[in-house]
Amino acid sequence: MSELLQTRQPSLFEFARAHVLATIFGVVMPLVVFAVFVGYPIVYTVVLSLYEWNGMTPTKTFVGLANYQYMLQDRYFYTALFNNLKWLAVTLVFPVCLGLVIAYGLRAKILPFPTLVRTVIFFPVTMSLISVGLMFLLILNPLFGAFDTLLQSIGLGGLVMEWFGDYRIALYTLTVVSGWAFTGMPMIFYFAGLGDVPKDTFDAARIEGAGHARMLIQVAVPQLRPVTAVVVMLTIFESLRAFDLIAVMTKGAPFGTTNVLGYLVYLESFWNSRFGYGAALSVAILAVSVGLATLVTRTLMKGAFDV
Amino acid sequence: MSDAALDFADSRRALLGFTGRLVGFTLLATLMFIWLGPVLLVVLTSVKSNNDFLAGPFALPTHLTFEPYLKVWFALGFGPLMANSFLYATAGSALAVILALVPAFTLSRLDVPGKKVIFGIILTGLMLPQQTVIIPLYDTLRSLNLLDTRLGLIVVHAAYGMPAQILILRGFMTTIPRDIEKAAYLEGASDLQVFWRVILPLSIPGILVGFTLNFIAIWKEFVFGLVLLNSEANFPVTVGMLKLNSDRYMSVFNLPAAGLVIAQIPIVILFILTYRRISEGNFAGATKG
Repeated sequence: MSELLQTRQPSLFEFARAHVLATIFGVVMPLVVFAVFVGYPIVYTVVLSLYEWNGMTPTKTFVGLANYQYMLQDRYFYTALFNNLKWLAVTLVFPVCLGLVIAYGLRAKILPFPTLVRTVIFFPVTMSLISVGLMFLLILNPLFGAFDTLLQSIGLGGLVMEWFGDYRIALYTLTVVSGWAFTGMPMIFYFAGLGDVPKDTFDAARIEGAGHARMLIQVAVPQLRPVTAVVVMLTIFESLRAFDLIAVMTKGAPFGTTNVLGYLVYLESFWNSRFGYGAALSVAILAVSVGLATLVTRTLMKGAFDV
Repeated sequence: MSDAALDFADSRRALLGFTGRLVGFTLLATLMFIWLGPVLLVVLTSVKSNNDFLAGPFALPTHLTFEPYLKVWFALGFGPLMANSFLYATAGSALAVILALVPAFTLSRLDVPGKKVIFGIILTGLMLPQQTVIIPLYDTLRSLNLLDTRLGLIVVHAAYGMPAQILILRGFMTTIPRDIEKAAYLEGASDLQVFWRVILPLSIPGILVGFTLNFIAIWKEFVFGLVLLNSEANFPVTVGMLKLNSDRYMSVFNLPAAGLVIAQIPIVILFILTYRRISEGNFAGATKG
């Protein structure tokens, strides 16, 4: 309002008195929604993880840290945890790097028909992962699948594998399918980010005779650090959320080797009626997300937004 | 945000010559093969008769048939499934946008003390893996008698849609020039009047983008639908479609393929109507402090 007032930052109380409606509906209301739908459920989950509960009875039995002790001896927990981390690693390499390269190719006008490319690669982002999963169940089907047929017809029949049946590769099949559906996301972010990089930066590099590979790695990547920070965050949470593809494609099979933490929470809680242990696994997901997010904030994001 | 920002390649293009163009088209063909190929293959499979399907995945159909569409529509009950998904996506997104409007206004146009902290707290809802809250939500909805009800799922979708909407709308509102509302404030307008008369009308494009993204997100959503609903009558498309992965449907692929196309049609329509707006960096508002 008046410039005089802005010399001193008003206190929250002063602000609330001057802007009653904005305070109620603009600050208090969203914080209440946060408290009810995020804060309370998290506290509830943490507390429940100290109990044993079958989900039906009104009484819950306090068991202390027993659920966590069990977790640390649970083979399925470790498989699931490492699967989440593998999922994250594959996602950071395949869709994220490819998304960056495609975005660069579009901005540098190496790729013809940019609108077509963007539309086609972004399209799977709008598909539900259930649809994506069903689609690749058809394509990778061992009897009638197009992929195996294609490999055989170009003389690579030797590469045909049990894409979902082989416990050594089933998880990677899932991560690649997930990457196929995700690539459009980093592409859009990097495409927008590259649009904001000052033209001079590229001009200078070009005059020095840099090729596309050098421009991408030495000019674009450092300039895109804030975008990368956001994309990596997004990828972390997307990888820890992995659930839908597993539910529709493998249900954790073969032998639980494609379980991820998110799916294990669901199995233990809603199928095995071990809600306390399910809650403990939820806490593990939370801990891993917070840990990874902190790591990213401390490294990638450090100074990335000080512009 | 204009495409001209990175036209460093314009002068280069002439130098690209034949090799450059060859590389470009090879890359294009590869990308199309990987990303468009599977989609086209599913569409092709969906219009094949059973006999044509047995001729192989790449064989062109001898005649087009829409029988798989009719069969799968009635076998899976796509009518109610689509109606449910449409209700969840429309009502959930509308509520999320409405909840987000004033917070977005407050956090973008007013000098709230501790603005960044408040914004940060609200945004944690965005990053939360759904599985970490699913048990409490299940239990709470059950005690409120909202488990397995359409209303319960709509409320949950609205609450979890709100943070993203605040992010998008705040980003959009930040781009509106300050001078416009300064004039209004000088004439003694209240926050409410400035919001209602000035900011809200100017935010309609942002609201449309936010609504569309939320609609797509809810249409795609699976975990909440799976856990918080029990009766098939309430299922959204994603949960109903799980049934397609069974021997009954997977013996001949034209039925599941047709189901996939049906589930995606509303999004394709929305995508065509709004693609330009959505693709042009509105996502990336997140990257601009």
